[in-house]
Amino acid sequence: MKQSVFGLILFFFLMLPPVADLLESIMIFHMHMQMPLLIVAGFLMGKFFLLRFPAFLEKWNEDGIAGILLFVVINLYWMLPRTMDEALSVQMIEIFKFVSLPFLAGVPLRDSWMKLTTAVKNAVIILFSFLFVGLGLVYTLSPVELCNNYLLKEQVTLGWGFLTMAACFIVYLIYTLVVDPSKYE
Amino acid sequence: MGAKAEVVQPIPFKKNENKALGISLQDAMISRVYMIVAFTALLLGGFLGLFQGLNRAGLLELPHWLNYYQILTAHGVLLVVVLTAFFTIGYFYAALSYNLGGLLPQVRKMAWIGFAMKIIGFVFAVIPILMNEASVLYTFYPPMAASPYFYIGLTLIVLGVWMCAFGAFMNVAHWRKQNKGQNLPILSYFATAVFVLLFFGSIPVAIEVLTLIPWSFGWTETVNVMLSRTLFWAFGHTLVNIWYLTAVSAWYVIVPKIIGGRRFSDTITRVVVILLVVMNIPGGFHHQIIDPGISQPVKYLHVFMSLAIAFPSLMTAYAMFSVFERTARKKGGTGLLGWYKKLPWGDVRFLAPMIAMIAFIPGGAGGIAQTTNQLNQVAHNTLWIVGHFHLTVGTSVVLTFFGISYWLVPYISGRTLTPKINKLGVIQTLIWTAGMLFMSGAMHWVGLLGAPRRTSYTTYFDNATALSWNPYLMFLAVGGTLLIIGVVMQVYAVFYLMFRAPKGKTEFPIAEAEDKEMKTPYWTERWGTWIVVMLLLIAMGYVIPLVDFIGNAPPGSPPFKTW
Repeated sequence: MKQSVFGLILFFFLMLPPVADLLESIMIFHMHMQMPLLIVAGFLMGKFFLLRFPAFLEKWNEDGIAGILLFVVINLYWMLPRTMDEALSVQMIEIFKFVSLPFLAGVPLRDSWMKLTTAVKNAVIILFSFLFVGLGLVYTLSPVELCNNYLLKEQVTLGWGFLTMAACFIVYLIYTLVVDPSKYE
Repeated sequence: MGAKAEVVQPIPFKKNENKALGISLQDAMISRVYMIVAFTALLLGGFLGLFQGLNRAGLLELPHWLNYYQILTAHGVLLVVVLTAFFTIGYFYAALSYNLGGLLPQVRKMAWIGFAMKIIGFVFAVIPILMNEASVLYTFYPPMAASPYFYIGLTLIVLGVWMCAFGAFMNVAHWRKQNKGQNLPILSYFATAVFVLLFFGSIPVAIEVLTLIPWSFGWTETVNVMLSRTLFWAFGHTLVNIWYLTAVSAWYVIVPKIIGGRRFSDTITRVVVILLVVMNIPGGFHHQIIDPGISQPVKYLHVFMSLAIAFPSLMTAYAMFSVFERTARKKGGTGLLGWYKKLPWGDVRFLAPMIAMIAFIPGGAGGIAQTTNQLNQVAHNTLWIVGHFHLTVGTSVVLTFFGISYWLVPYISGRTLTPKINKLGVIQTLIWTAGMLFMSGAMHWVGLLGAPRRTSYTTYFDNATALSWNPYLMFLAVGGTLLIIGVVMQVYAVFYLMFRAPKGKTEFPIAEAEDKEMKTPYWTERWGTWIVVMLLLIAMGYVIPLVDFIGNAPPGSPPFKTW
């Protein structure tokens, strides 16, 4: 339960206006720091939901697929430039961000990840690798602003953030492909 | 996991190897040669340091064919590159050999090839320095341009280090295959971490140097200065933590054995190692706090990143003093602090690392102060910084290395530490401590008064403020003189222990874990995962500034020779 409390504290911390302002003032902080931290907050708070609603999660997320699909969909939504723009301009969408990322992405991720088979886990990482390479190229190569709220320069930075993260995922995938843990463990 | 478990299951191909006194002669030869180079570098670099100190105090006029910046560069390269790299590799290769049942033949070959590359690289780097063609100091910031051969030499040194790193990884992987599911022996675990950092940390500087070579040859016209500085510090800061992690390995593993105690929690030790590895490289920015071209919010976030590294250091401080107290109380020590009397203060193998640890208290505190934006602006280009790294590297790290040498050199040489050399070591440690108190203390203070670093002696046309620095600079010279006595004693001790001391068996002192300790979780062994986490953090730290430096780059700078 300690984890849930830490998650809740992190969640409230991210909601503080100066913190939210700072993280939303720079495009890459917005997408690659605030949003993942909201997911982390949800992931930590997930412990509470796991203990409180085990039957519900068992029924609806038996093998983890439903949960991970929800996680992917929510993530996909928040990677669109337009949604980021709307979060800054429309109050309701900002609220939706603070609700959806922790509770519809972080919590399901917590419940699903351990239930997934290694193959599905790797499939998720492969999916995000492709996605990040694609988005990275879009953000770095686009000659125009994709977000009204951010400069072109910041967009390029975000693009490189996507590309380097994709590179890390690919390094991990190569590592799991090349190294057979059964030889060592 | 105790020392017995650490002393390795026999590996078939090693069975009949020519083992002498606990380490194979071939493995011992690697470490011995690395130690010879390390301590020869200490001797040369030490004398250059003395000349510098005396010159800086206005007491010594250098001959016309040798200038201050030339010896400053050589002093830096010899001590912070050669001494530390060769000592670290020699020490950890001895540890790998001891822990893992000997080095694999191909790993031994790699260590020798790496050695040759580093020596050739060093010769390439040193000749331009001697010819006054590379007086660019050890940070070689562009737009100051050295002879291209200086950079080629550095590249070869990096490649030599990579060779040794990969050798270590191969040996560790081989051991793990032979010992499925077991945790790597603790000292080899530290070695793995250090070689991971050496490899990944030197990639940025390799990229930097590859851009500087064509620039200094004149094949490209300009270089991106901010990018180069940033790539340098991604490496430079990691190098600092490589020294630190090497010293910390002895604090956690060796010192408890020497005082007759047990190690602190194995799991916590490994967590500290992981934290130091994954959080390290983005910390480089705290060396650039007053650099232009990095926005305030980015600097602010990097300060957070840098201070995060203080956390495992504080864990280490707690762990060490906990071990000391526990051990001393077991030996009958009493009182709130009275137990300190039970520690073996007369044993140089304890005294030197102990003073090193104590020095790290003000050293670490100074580091935290410098990481702070406003305080850094006061101290940045002053002698305070020089005082800081003489306290951290020159005392905390180097004194630990000295302490290690009093058992490691006899161990790899099949000899023993004599009481006389122990006494010499104790005196040496005290002289070193006094020398550093004078020198580093004076540097800190005079730095606060505004005396600049990286500047040869000048009174600025007898300006009153500049003249007021002189008494402190005199202390600096006194400290430097004491230190050179320490250098000579230390080098004598090492060579005596290697070639003249009585033959015999010296133990490789690895402390055992506490009896009732829980089993160390296996996730600490998943280096692949930790490396990916490290890469993610590096991406977090560097994407924003690098995209900015490259995308918004000014025209770039042609090479300059300012000396």
